[in-house]
Amino acid sequence: MEAEAIVRRCEALYADLSLGSVREWKAAHPGRPAVGLLPVYVPREIVHAAGALPVSLLGGGDQIDIVKGDASFQSYICHLPRSMVELSLTGRLDALDGFVFPSTCDVIRNLSGIFQMTTRGKYIRYLDLPQAMDEGTGGAFYRRDLVALAAEIARLAGREAPGDEALAESIRRYDRNRRAIAALWAVRAGAPWLVALDETYLLMRAGAVLPVEAHTELVEAYTAAVAGRARKPEDRIRVVVVGAFCEQPPLGLLRTLERSGCYVVDDDLFLGARWVEGDVLALEEGRGSVAEESAAPVDGPKGGPHGPPGSDGGGDPYGALARAYIGKSLVASTRYQPDGRRGEDLVRRVRALKADGVVFAAPSFCDPALLDQPPLQKSLSEANIPFITFKYAENTGQFQSIREQAGTFSDSIKLWGEA
Amino acid sequence: MADLVTAGIDVGTGAVKAAIVCSTGVAKTTVLGTHRERLLRRDPGRVAELAYERACQAAGLTRKDVAYVASTGDGDAVAFRDGHFYGMTTHARGATFLLPGARSVADLGALHARVMVIDEQSRVRASRMTSQCASGTGQFIENIARYLGIRLEDVGPLSRSATRAEVCSGICAVLAETDVINMVSRGIPLSEIIRGIHESIAQRLAKLLRMVRAAGPVVLTGGLAADVGLSAEIERALDEDGGPKIEVAAHPLSVQAGALGAALWSAHRLRRLQARGPDAGYLSTPT
Repeated sequence: MEAEAIVRRCEALYADLSLGSVREWKAAHPGRPAVGLLPVYVPREIVHAAGALPVSLLGGGDQIDIVKGDASFQSYICHLPRSMVELSLTGRLDALDGFVFPSTCDVIRNLSGIFQMTTRGKYIRYLDLPQAMDEGTGGAFYRRDLVALAAEIARLAGREAPGDEALAESIRRYDRNRRAIAALWAVRAGAPWLVALDETYLLMRAGAVLPVEAHTELVEAYTAAVAGRARKPEDRIRVVVVGAFCEQPPLGLLRTLERSGCYVVDDDLFLGARWVEGDVLALEEGRGSVAEESAAPVDGPKGGPHGPPGSDGGGDPYGALARAYIGKSLVASTRYQPDGRRGEDLVRRVRALKADGVVFAAPSFCDPALLDQPPLQKSLSEANIPFITFKYAENTGQFQSIREQAGTFSDSIKLWGEA
Repeated sequence: MADLVTAGIDVGTGAVKAAIVCSTGVAKTTVLGTHRERLLRRDPGRVAELAYERACQAAGLTRKDVAYVASTGDGDAVAFRDGHFYGMTTHARGATFLLPGARSVADLGALHARVMVIDEQSRVRASRMTSQCASGTGQFIENIARYLGIRLEDVGPLSRSATRAEVCSGICAVLAETDVINMVSRGIPLSEIIRGIHESIAQRLAKLLRMVRAAGPVVLTGGLAADVGLSAEIERALDEDGGPKIEVAAHPLSVQAGALGAALWSAHRLRRLQARGPDAGYLSTPT
C-alpha cells in the first residue's frame, strides 16, 4: 500500500470521533467489549489479554464544540477533560463498555469521578501507577493491580481472567508493535524529510482505535513505503518536541511547526503508545525467560492469577509488565522519578538525535508539563541547547504566533546558531 | 571569497517575487535578476516555478548556476527550495540591503502589515502585526481600486493629487467598503476617497510603529511600498502624532525585499555550512 493511502486511512480514523472502527470490531466480535483508556499510559496488553479491545482516548481535538463539557470544569483546567465529557455526553463513546483512568494527574483522577456519575452501568477503573520505583515495593503493588485489572476486564468479556500464556501472547503482539514503531522512529531520525510529522502522528493515532495486529501491519507497511519516497531533503533544523504527552495539539499546529523550517525528529505526542522502551518480553528472540532478565524479580503473587511463574512457558508476564514500568519506561513528566534525571535524559536525547533545539509545546494549564519545564530548560541552557516555549489547547485554531516563534527560532539557529 | 549565486522566492498572498543575487561577501552583493508574478488565482506552486524561471532569465542564468534557493512567505509552494526563512527575517535583511542603516521596517503585504525594529545585523528585536481584519492591507486597496474603476498603479498618484482626505473607517474592511459606497453616492472626488483610505491605513501603521518604539529610517517593504500615496500618508501620520521624528523611505526594489532577504540569507547560510565542511548538516544529506 502507498504511504499516502495509509495516511488517508489513518486520517479517516482520526476524524471519526464516534469510533466507527470500534463499533465494526465489536460487530465482528460479538460479546467482546471495548475499553477506553485515558492518557497517558495504561498497559494495553492487559486489556487485550482479557479479550477486550483497548481504545486509547485522546480528547476531541479541534473537531468538537464544547457545550456540556465546560460545565464540569473550572476555567483554569486543561481542555482534554472538557472534550472527554462532551464526547461521552453526546453519545460518541457509547461503543465503549468501560474506561480506565491512570493516575496521570488530578484532572484525570477527577474525570474518573465524573464518568462514574455520567456513564452509569459502565466499568470505571482508576489505575494507580506506582510511585515507588523499586520492584519490591512499587513493582509488587503494580503487579497485584494489573492482575486485578485483567480479571475485571475479563469479567466484562464474560471470560476467566487471562492466564500467563494469554498475557504473554498479548505482550508479544505489543512487542512487535513497539519494534515496528521503533523502526519508524529510526527512519524519522535518519531521514526526516521522508516522514512528515503529521503523517507519523496520524499513524500513531490509528493505533488508538485499531487492534494492535492491524496497527502493526499498518506501521510496517508505511515504514516500507516511505523508504521508497523520492523526496528532496531540505535545510531545516532538527528539533525535539516536548510536553505534548496527554492533551494532543491539533494537526494544524504540527504542520505549522514543520512549515516553519523544522524537522521534528522526536516528540512525546501520544506517548502512551511508546511508553515502554524495547520489548517487554524477550521470548520471541530467544533471549530467555523474563525471570532470567531480572536478578530481583518482582515480589507479590507469582505466575499470574492461576499459578507459579513459568508454569505455562510464558514466564511471569504480569511481573514483566510491572518491571517494564519500573525500568523500561520512557522518561515522562507524569511518571514519578526520584533521581531527578529528566533534564539529563532530555539533553542525552537531543544529543543522540543530533537535534539542534527543543520545542516545549505544552497544553495550557497542564501541571505535569509546565512544572517540569523550568528544570528541563535549566538543563538545556547548561548544555547550550536552544529552546522555545509555547502553549496550546487541543482546539487551538490560530497558529500565527506559533509560526512566528518556530520560524524565528529556526532562522536564529540556522543563521547565527550552531546548526 | 568565492562568488555565490543564491535565490530567494517570496510567496505572498497576492504575488510571488523571485530574486537572484551574487555575493562575494557581506560587503559586495549584486542583484542579478528579479521577477514579480501575480497569483491571479493560479496554483502558487506553478507561479513560484514561473517567477523563478523568469528571474533566472533576467539574470542570464540557469537553475544549475544557483547554489541555494530559499523560500519565504508560504514556502510550501516552492517544492524545489533548499531552505526556508521566516518572513520577518527576510524582510529585515532585504530592508538593510536596500537601505543600509535602516533600523525599522514596515512590511506592507496583501494580507497583513507588520512593523519591526531591527539591529545592524538585520536581527528582529521587536515586531507588531495588524489584526486579522483586512482593512490595513494591499488586498483591501486592490478591492477598493477595482470598485472605483481605478488602475492599481494610479492609486498612489491619485491620492497625492488630493487636497484633502475624506475620513474612512479604519477598523473594519467591510465598514470601510460601505463608507466608500456612501462617499461615491455623495459625489466625493475619487482622489479624496483614496487619500482617506491611505490616511486610515497610515494612522494604524503609525500607531504600530510607535508601539514597537521604531527609530528611523523606516523602510517600507512589500507590495504596498510602491504606493506613493500611502508612503506620503505614513510620513504625515508620523509627523502629526506628536512622537519623535521618523524618516520613511522606500526603494524601487522594496516589493522584492522578502525575496532579496531570502537570497541574501541563503548566501550567509551556505557559507556557514561550507565553513563546517562537507559532512556538516544539510550539505551531507543525499540529494
